[in-house]
Amino acid sequence: MGTALERSLGIVLPLLVAFAIAAIVLLTIGENPVEILTLMATEAFGNVRRFAATLSASTPLLFTAVATAICFRSGVFNVGVDGAFVLGGLAAIFIAFTLPASIGVGIIPLAFIAAAVTGGLWLWLPGVLLAKYEADEVVSTLMLNFIAAGISGYLVNGPLLSPQSGNNVTPLIHETAELERLMPPSTLHAGFIIGLICIIAYWTWCRNTPSGFEGAVVGQNPRFARAVGISVPAVIILVMVLSGVIAGFGGASHGLGQMHRFSDGFSPGYGFTGMAVALLARNHPIGILFGAVLFGALASAGTTIQLFSNIPLDLVNIIQGTVMIFAVIEAARLMKNRRRQTHAV
Amino acid sequence: MQFEHLIASAIMLTTPILLAAMGGLINRRAGIVNIGLEAKMLAGAFVAVIVSSATGSWIIACLAAALAGAAIGWLFSLSITRAGANMIVAGLGLNILVAGVLGFILSWVYRSSGTLRLPDVALLPKILPAGLEVVPLVGPSLAALDPLTLLAWMTVGLLPFVLASTRIGLWIRATGNASEMARSVGLQHLTIQDFTTACAGFFCGLAGAHLALVSLGLFNEGLTAGRGFIALAAFYFGRDRPVTTAFACLLFGALEAAQIRLQLEGLPPKLIGMLPYVMVLIALVVASIQAQRKAKA
Repeated sequence: MGTALERSLGIVLPLLVAFAIAAIVLLTIGENPVEILTLMATEAFGNVRRFAATLSASTPLLFTAVATAICFRSGVFNVGVDGAFVLGGLAAIFIAFTLPASIGVGIIPLAFIAAAVTGGLWLWLPGVLLAKYEADEVVSTLMLNFIAAGISGYLVNGPLLSPQSGNNVTPLIHETAELERLMPPSTLHAGFIIGLICIIAYWTWCRNTPSGFEGAVVGQNPRFARAVGISVPAVIILVMVLSGVIAGFGGASHGLGQMHRFSDGFSPGYGFTGMAVALLARNHPIGILFGAVLFGALASAGTTIQLFSNIPLDLVNIIQGTVMIFAVIEAARLMKNRRRQTHAV
Repeated sequence: MQFEHLIASAIMLTTPILLAAMGGLINRRAGIVNIGLEAKMLAGAFVAVIVSSATGSWIIACLAAALAGAAIGWLFSLSITRAGANMIVAGLGLNILVAGVLGFILSWVYRSSGTLRLPDVALLPKILPAGLEVVPLVGPSLAALDPLTLLAWMTVGLLPFVLASTRIGLWIRATGNASEMARSVGLQHLTIQDFTTACAGFFCGLAGAHLALVSLGLFNEGLTAGRGFIALAAFYFGRDRPVTTAFACLLFGALEAAQIRLQLEGLPPKLIGMLPYVMVLIALVVASIQAQRKAKA
């Protein structure tokens, strides 16, 4: 009973604090918080079209949150999902505008494979560095994010620059490579379904596969894992690569479904919002789904709120930052069994 | 002549990274990895511009920026030391939160998106007379020397002594290296950690003030442009030693200054910009392999 209570408290508390802070901010500027938050809720879920916009905004987060959760549940502190998302997206887009359009819809799976390979290899590196040399994964993945941004920024300003348009963009992908829109005119696209499949696959992996079980054991008690013959390095590399593959899928889905080309600012921090979602959800698949939709709702409602009532979109960042901090404050009690003491970083 | 100006701009660009890195270094010595340096720099820059415009005094502006950074750092520290938050996630969260708060104030109070221009912003003064410009090689650097740059390099000179030979330095190192021992001899190790995080915030606030007040006199949401992470890279690369870290900062500052010229030579700026991070990655791997060899031997 205690754990169930603690669990739900851990999810509710960060949200409560975040919305309380948002309410205080709104009160300070002389707005009625209840009114604004109700307006935001209607903007996000009020009718089918708006709900579709919310789901569309939540699509990249489904991927980045699952990618983060895969590592966090094994105690691997991977903060490099954003980089894998960006490079995976770039790889998919590259395939989708360079291969001949005559291949047709077949380009889509090829693009996803390219994204998965890119993302997987990208996070394989810090995985190996951690597993073999105990090189701190927080630092390596953090640095890799900046390196990914540098590489992609270089490519879209140089070799992959669109000849037709100005700076920072690749050519558009072939129309046949675009993921189908589910509810036009909304931008909700088939990537959302792929995201749902990733969540289900993650759930199945966690519950029904030996490697998923080993991942959980390594996260909860690495010494016990070693004692019963689980290869901790192999698990670390596996979860890193899986995380990269899912993040790559996310980039491919975002590229082929939403952006249709790569530009600087392809990911406005989806990897980090995904981290907030995974933390809030305590790595649980259902929680990830709801968390992603919640943050998607904040993003889509935030934009309209800014348009109609002049309340700055930054309110959404305030909420997200608060959720992240308070999610780990509560999580601290639950995640005491981290692979090693945090101050060893 | 050209080369002399390159040195001057390298030194100027090093200062904010150096200040932030010194703060982060003290913090890490006490056992806290501060990912939220960026947030405190940004807040420092914001406060510096507002206070400088309101008072017309760069000293008060710098002090206010430093105190704002220290206050944020202290609150951030409490979430880690007293509420047990994971320092990495809390740091990333802090960066998002502070950027959100500043952006909100910017567009709500100042009705501006992204940039804050205020009248009568007092810039950092030059310490030495402009006539020094004619001195060969270091002339432009001397003529451009500002108080915060001087302070940054004085910190580099003093910090090894403070850490090695003073009581507070010993406390900090004891807290970071052997927190059990520190606790058992009655040190308030959490308070010491809070103090160092406030220190990190103090230096980051100054770093932000330097960015805002050294030449432009305005605040921009992208003003820090990842320098908090470059600073982090610097003290990781310098293995928490002040002088080595300062050299890393100087190297990164020089890279930034050379970026424009290298760009003219045909080297892509994005790839140059990513060099510090690549260097840290390599340094991390080398250090880990060495540590492993040592453990095996």
